[in-house]
Amino acid sequence: MLDYVISKYNFWIYVILMMIGLYAMIGKRNLIKKLIGMNIFQSAVILFYVSISVKAGATVPILSGHSYGHGELIEVAKYLNPLPHVLMLTAIVVSIATTGVALATLILIYRRYNTLEEDEILKIRRDTGV
Amino acid sequence: MKLVALITVFMTGALLIYGVEDMPGWGDPNSPASSHVSPRYIQEAMEKTATPNMVSAVLADYRSYDTLGETAVIFTAGIACILMLRKKRKGEGE
Repeated sequence: MLDYVISKYNFWIYVILMMIGLYAMIGKRNLIKKLIGMNIFQSAVILFYVSISVKAGATVPILSGHSYGHGELIEVAKYLNPLPHVLMLTAIVVSIATTGVALATLILIYRRYNTLEEDEILKIRRDTGV
Repeated sequence: MKLVALITVFMTGALLIYGVEDMPGWGDPNSPASSHVSPRYIQEAMEKTATPNMVSAVLADYRSYDTLGETAVIFTAGIACILMLRKKRKGEGE
């Protein structure tokens, strides 16, 4: 059982991290905590993709020095897979954008209701009939 | 409510753990992700784009329209933040 976990431990870690984020998004009442949960979830996805690109014994995907590829064949196994890195750059940018807009929305919510607890906001909305 | 959330999270986690079984091992050079299209990028990026850094070659040359759209995303997010947080003028509705 332990060998089974250790052989693919990276995926186990990402699943645990992702479930922490999912629980924070579903189970917490504070909106800031929900947002932090979403960020943890996104981090888990990003780490998962980056770990897919790993090849044992390979280096970062930057050609160095003399091996500038003039006619000579570049050994694929010597460099990490660059595509997940590129896609995760895009994903990081999108996550920054969503986090920024969500924080701005939370500021507006706080100005209007003076609280960030979800149940209190819902109670105020019910009581005032808005 | 918390119990429902916890049950949902554990069931989703169990499903994902079940899926882990089919994933390639750590650092496997023949994993599906690094055996179909990515060798082509590694071998041809320098020749086609004259950029030694493959990540920036893919980001700014092969997928430059994607990066353009990405800057549009950041621009939209910044405009949205400005519109939400600016001080309202007098007489303007909530």
